[in-house]
Amino acid sequence: MNDGELTYHKKDLPSSISKIGMVLLAIGVILGVVAFFVDHSRAVFNYLIAFAFMISIGVGALFLIALEYVAGADWSVPIRRVVEFFAAIIPFLAILVIPLLFNMGELFHWSHTEAITQDKILQGKAPYLNVPFFIIRVFVLIGIWSLFYFFFVRNSKMQDSTKDQKLTKINIRLSAIFIPIFALSITISAVDWLMSIQPHWFSTIFGVYFFAGTVVAALAAVTLATVLLKENGYLHPAMTNDHLFSLGALLFAFVNFWGYIAFSQFLLMWYADLPEETSWFLQKWEGSWAIFSIGLIVIHFLVPYVTLLSQPAKMDPKKLKFISVWLLFAHLYDLFWLVMPGMKQLSGGYSFSWIDFVFPIAVVGIIILVFNMKAKKENLVPIGDPKLKRGLDFHL
Amino acid sequence: MSTDYSIEAPVVRGRLSLSEIEELVAKPLDSKPDKKFFIALSISGSALLIGAVCLFYTFYYGIGMWGNNQPVGWGFGIVNFVFWVGIGHAGTLISAILFLLRQRWRTGIARFAEAMTIFAVMCAGIFPIIHTGRPWLAGYLTPYPNQHGLWVNFTSPLVWDVFAVSVYFTVSLVFWYTGLIPDFATLRDRTTSKIKKTIYSIFSLGWRHSSRHWQHYEKAYVILAGFATPLVLSVHTIVSFDFAVSILPGWHSTIFPPYFVAGAIFSGFAMVVTVLVFVRKIFDLQNIITIDHLEKMNKVILATGLMVGYSYGMEFFIAWYSGVPFEQFVFINRAFGPYAWAYWIMVSCNVFFPQLFWFKKIRRSIPVMMVIVILVNVGMWFERFVIVVTSLHRDFLPSSWGMYAPTLIDGGILLGSFGLFFTLVILFTKALPVVSISEIKAVADGAQPAHHRGKLNG
Amino acid sequence: MADKKIFGVTALFNNPDAIISAANKVASSGYTKWDVNSPYPLHGIDKAMKMKPSKLGFVTMIFGLSGVVLALLLMWWTMSVDYPMIIGGKPFFSLPAFVPVTFEVTVIMATVSTVVAMFAFFFGLPRNAHALHDTDYMKKVSRDHYGIVIEADDPRFDERSTIEFLRSLNPLSTEIIYYPEKERYPIFEPRFITFLFGVAVVVSLGTYLMLNKLMYIQPFNWMDDQAKISPQSSSTFFADGRGMRLPVEGTVARGFIPYPFMGETNPKEVLSNPYFPTKANLELGQRKFLTYCSPCHGNYAEGNSRLAGQFPNPPTLHSDRARNFEDGMIYHIITNGQNAMPSYASQVTREERWAIVNYIRVLQRAKNATDSDLKFVKVE
Repeated sequence: MNDGELTYHKKDLPSSISKIGMVLLAIGVILGVVAFFVDHSRAVFNYLIAFAFMISIGVGALFLIALEYVAGADWSVPIRRVVEFFAAIIPFLAILVIPLLFNMGELFHWSHTEAITQDKILQGKAPYLNVPFFIIRVFVLIGIWSLFYFFFVRNSKMQDSTKDQKLTKINIRLSAIFIPIFALSITISAVDWLMSIQPHWFSTIFGVYFFAGTVVAALAAVTLATVLLKENGYLHPAMTNDHLFSLGALLFAFVNFWGYIAFSQFLLMWYADLPEETSWFLQKWEGSWAIFSIGLIVIHFLVPYVTLLSQPAKMDPKKLKFISVWLLFAHLYDLFWLVMPGMKQLSGGYSFSWIDFVFPIAVVGIIILVFNMKAKKENLVPIGDPKLKRGLDFHL
Repeated sequence: MSTDYSIEAPVVRGRLSLSEIEELVAKPLDSKPDKKFFIALSISGSALLIGAVCLFYTFYYGIGMWGNNQPVGWGFGIVNFVFWVGIGHAGTLISAILFLLRQRWRTGIARFAEAMTIFAVMCAGIFPIIHTGRPWLAGYLTPYPNQHGLWVNFTSPLVWDVFAVSVYFTVSLVFWYTGLIPDFATLRDRTTSKIKKTIYSIFSLGWRHSSRHWQHYEKAYVILAGFATPLVLSVHTIVSFDFAVSILPGWHSTIFPPYFVAGAIFSGFAMVVTVLVFVRKIFDLQNIITIDHLEKMNKVILATGLMVGYSYGMEFFIAWYSGVPFEQFVFINRAFGPYAWAYWIMVSCNVFFPQLFWFKKIRRSIPVMMVIVILVNVGMWFERFVIVVTSLHRDFLPSSWGMYAPTLIDGGILLGSFGLFFTLVILFTKALPVVSISEIKAVADGAQPAHHRGKLNG
Repeated sequence: MADKKIFGVTALFNNPDAIISAANKVASSGYTKWDVNSPYPLHGIDKAMKMKPSKLGFVTMIFGLSGVVLALLLMWWTMSVDYPMIIGGKPFFSLPAFVPVTFEVTVIMATVSTVVAMFAFFFGLPRNAHALHDTDYMKKVSRDHYGIVIEADDPRFDERSTIEFLRSLNPLSTEIIYYPEKERYPIFEPRFITFLFGVAVVVSLGTYLMLNKLMYIQPFNWMDDQAKISPQSSSTFFADGRGMRLPVEGTVARGFIPYPFMGETNPKEVLSNPYFPTKANLELGQRKFLTYCSPCHGNYAEGNSRLAGQFPNPPTLHSDRARNFEDGMIYHIITNGQNAMPSYASQVTREERWAIVNYIRVLQRAKNATDSDLKFVKVE
């Protein structure tokens, strides 16, 4: 038993972290503003991708918190704060979404009223795909997510000092309620932001597809932060590589899940060969997009699969750091692949532009800053959680 | 009574010693079957017999004895097949997936669940075999050397089904048998009957409980679990492909694979709960198959039920969103057409009633949970019925519309499949240990040495 | 008992912590042929015994990869090379459609090979004749004890010192294990052989009866007996007992449009000629005319064939009447017949009839050629 010597002492993150975050954010914002003027359409589409990425990280992290409570997992308790800090970006989504709402015409064909009058199919969808309802949905969802985030984190923080087990019970109840709400809200986000870019296309599995990518990205972010923080002594000293194994195993599992969902969607539409469905995939096969599409399979499935297959690899800090960064890039790549072929200028094939790299830089900056802000104010370990000791005792 | 989250709930209650566990689990194997056993066996046996008679009629007079006709060419045959394959999934999930997730509570129920998988897959396998009408000629379906130079169509989901279900059956059987070997050894070493000793010795392969062997054995178990997990997901995915690769409205929907898998786990767990409630009572296993186990399974039922409900909702929404009139019609027809009664049974049993499991009291109440889980199985059977029949009976051309009615023979064969399943389960309880003796001993209190650390900051 | 051969010595424990520390001691003592037995796997025993990690995973990997290769090879050969068929408009080698089968074959090969390799090669099982079977030690470790066994084959084994060493680990008890005296499961026991023989007889008889007798009885009769009417068989369905029936009145062959004016002596309408008088058509017409028409009408359609005088003379086709016939009327006469001339519909096909009509027109024009016609000929 690990009583006595190994206890957690809060250690502040180095000031260089916030400096890096601010630099990245500044670069991202300045270049982003420039990009808006240089190639407005490209900038707006890239902003959308970055925004969807932030939803994935933030809401995905919230899902992981709820999953831990509902499943009664103990190995993840020592790192739950890391997950909570990633979820902290959720309230900021309300502000970050605003530039998108001012550029809806650029993004969404269905937001043009003249286009709707010409198109019978769009007329049919108009009760759902109309600007006012869209905006309401966006803010309602961000509001709901923020509400759950607030309650989860408030109870978790309170437990640090009161060590009241009732708070765990409340959080478990909240988690159980949250998960179905999460399922619906992540589906609505996927349909609204990503699927409606091609408003004639539809797929019932799309929500699940975005969910799969979201969990991979959130897990990757959590894994990367956990390994880095653990290596540098910021987490509980009793944590071992066995805890990392569970993260590695979950990453592996969800990479497989993403591959399974992506393949199902593709196979069914390929097999039935209905033009109204295949058009979406065919567009991603035009010119150089074909190589891009093959790249998605390699980057998002094959490489992570092979890397994380063996038992030792799943708990190796070096491999985990590498594959986490890789998978974060892979999710961004996935979102890019989903959205960009829909941009008119790129319909013949991908052409390089520096703008594609601008907004991810800003996103990384924002996440680092928010994480750092929370880490300053709170313990990196939920010291009041009744399951903490069991979680630290976890071994393979 | 509030829970203390700082301590882990014991997997085996009642502080049973290793030998007490062994005695408890092996007791049914030592004693002669009693009257209750024979009553249960005769009920399931009668159902099986009815099914056998209906099968005889089918083989003698042909598939015309079934209700399949234009436009509903697929009827009870495929509905029952998908139903039974789905039920099989719970076993592998409990065995393999919960193992990989390190959920120790699976130990008490894994053996039984795996057995149920094998029996369920056997019941499922009957239907593809008999639906040709002359199953004794089934060899002709395999790629045998022939004058036409014909091969099977490897791109057809029906062929994928053959591979998937046979691989699933084989791997489940191997997984189950591998787990049984240490138990056969234990039974061999405690039995006094010479015949039983010979049988157990043969099946135990001479297992000596050697730690050097346990090391490889555990590795093999992890490998098997690691393969069984994607396998079980792939099987019902491939079954869903039977429908989803078509262009039929109501069938061609990309969400079918995860939707079917969730539904399979949903119905499978419901069947496991149904059977375990009886087994734990009859064989005095309440300390090994505890109310906590049942509660956890009910939580899984709730979760997967919500996934199924999500799929219903998503299909409905996208049907509207797509603007495709045929797609929209299918869903209106399901809810308000001539088979609306089946649809509403499905929705109430799969979506409404399981919501009662939000309440802890109901999750832990045996009578209420029995009702709910039986309704779940009814609902899941009707889900397959609704999917198959409503999409086929009214598709693109109104001039092709028609109705489907199953015949008594159809019903008899369905009844027979239940008879086969429960007969096998009942026989299993007397022939083999329903709980994995070695696994449950390994998680009993005081069975393992004091905790040792994993690699620190490796 | 000096004849008995020692297999090894054992020590029993009933506490998992005790066995772990005991195993540790044995592992560092220099013995190599030793083992721990427990009714279930003990956490940490691998480390205590200093066991090297299992290599079973390599078997899985090799067979799994072979599965991928084999499955893809099989499908490529059958679907893309040996008998390619266009299915659903997809290419002959459609990788997306090959994925499910490839996956299943990979899984079955990887899992079955792992289990078989483990039991057969890693463990050497089935082996029910091992010295430890049926010993008190085995019965205990099968139930709720843990044990250490050190085999006599070990180079450092010595009956006394090894037992002393084991006693130093504080076990509950120690025991010497001897090899069993007689073979426990003799294969050539008469009862067993008889049983095998009986099984063989039953199986072969059953197979013979099944394949040669049962498989020809209803309903297994390979569709020998069917309810349909076969050609030249009788039928109880019809009053006259005949199975073969004439077609119903007015039956028309598939794809055949009947000649609408059959039987009419003076048709009000006739068909129009769909054929141009091309060289090939006229040559056809000439051939057929000479074969079928010239015997009666003469080689130049003048009515002066060698049949003239034998029965009502076939008329000349150069009469005004004939020259004023529409093409369709000539066609009608050939098809329907006229007066003594029978129908030639069964001897010349429709196309041939029109060709004959065109040739008759040639003859008619030749017989009454105009100056301009002759000029045309001279130029030729």
